[in-house]
Amino acid sequence: MLRLFKNKIFILISSTVVLLIVIGLSAIPNGKINYVGDIFSTILSPFQKFISYSDKKINDFFAHFEDIDKLRKENEVLKQRVDELVYENERLIDLKIKNEELRRALDIKDQYSTMEMVGANIIAKDMGNWFDIFTIDRGTRDGIEINYPVVTSNGLVGRVMQTDLFTSKVIAIIDEDSSISARLSKTSDIVVVKGDRKLKDQGLCIMNYIPADADVSAGDRVETSGVGGIYPKGILIGKVKEVRQKTNELDRYAIIEPVVDFKRLEEVFILKPKSINNNETSEENK
Amino acid sequence: MRLKVIAYSILIFLTALIQSTIVDSIKIYGVKPNLTIVVIVCVALLRNATEGAVIGLLCGLMQDAVSGRAIGFYALLGLYLGLVIAKSNKKLNKENILIAIFLTFVSTVVYEYVVYFFTTVFRAPLDFVYPFKNKILIEAIYNSVISILVFIIVSRIHKRFEEFEKNSRRY
Repeated sequence: MLRLFKNKIFILISSTVVLLIVIGLSAIPNGKINYVGDIFSTILSPFQKFISYSDKKINDFFAHFEDIDKLRKENEVLKQRVDELVYENERLIDLKIKNEELRRALDIKDQYSTMEMVGANIIAKDMGNWFDIFTIDRGTRDGIEINYPVVTSNGLVGRVMQTDLFTSKVIAIIDEDSSISARLSKTSDIVVVKGDRKLKDQGLCIMNYIPADADVSAGDRVETSGVGGIYPKGILIGKVKEVRQKTNELDRYAIIEPVVDFKRLEEVFILKPKSINNNETSEENK
Repeated sequence: MRLKVIAYSILIFLTALIQSTIVDSIKIYGVKPNLTIVVIVCVALLRNATEGAVIGLLCGLMQDAVSGRAIGFYALLGLYLGLVIAKSNKKLNKENILIAIFLTFVSTVVYEYVVYFFTTVFRAPLDFVYPFKNKILIEAIYNSVISILVFIIVSRIHKRFEEFEKNSRRY
């Protein structure tokens, strides 16, 4: 009996030590040890996909009845808007052509043009309440790699933080671990946009390291700066909601309201370098 | 033995699946319940220490796989949660549902504080009141309510196991 008891404690201690070692090893991004996690998430992913799909369908079905009246009114308003926009669009196409010609003349490299957009659905969210990480249904099989930026049609969502064969995990910009080099569109000042534990609950993030001479006010647009190499330049992050001061005039921070609504996020796009460029960069890396 | 393995794998699998998908749409005040804690507490309360620890470990591993962070963190937490609850159950009336509710409440508070502590201590100043007021308390109450349902399901499985064990002993 005593021996058995000792034996159990030995098992407990050894499993604790093994787990601690595993935690340490898994800090290496996409290291071998992460395959353990890959196995579980690969098994889970088809079921998660099925549930999130049927969940959406059921919601759509019920929303169908509620929305008929609302849609009729909205339809009229939208028709008017379409007419306005068609006119404006024609004007913008002219401008676009002109812009492209000028860009070509000046030889400005557009960072977006070297990127390819891959659509993905969100199939699962993080289990706990502390983090904003979600799983999407694209993985290494679709050519997704770590640190690829994730966007919606509105603006920046986050970046890919881990990849499996069929799924990947995306860390949202409102998560504490996320930190982005950003730029104020108005004045081109470089700032840092970070996630904050308290603001995260309201879907907001924080802007630090605002230069002392920068002119920041509520409503200013913030976009990615392209510094740091993960996010291409010029993706809209959000708008300044409020500028606050800590102790004095120089030490201030701002609260950013992202353009993406993280509570109702369902589909995202991953920005993937186009295949020709991809080969070049991978050769450069070697 | 084979029955146990199958039943537990289905239980753990369903827990992880529901926790990562459906639970996200039943948030209250932006806080979702944590089924993993509830399942670990209920299993550990009704069964013995070994099963409590193993279920805790496996539930934690599933959570690690979905979270995409360090693998083993939640597994280690789950292991010790299951072990501690199972060690204490000898002195308690196992079949009483109020004890399950109470233990779920206490374990949620302790568990989430441990998670908060280890994920925050090296990068931001610790604040013990804010997370309690906005996350942990609501989650603990929510978990306690859910533990009623989970306890009923797990105690059914428990009774089935006991019957099975009795029968296999007799023959």
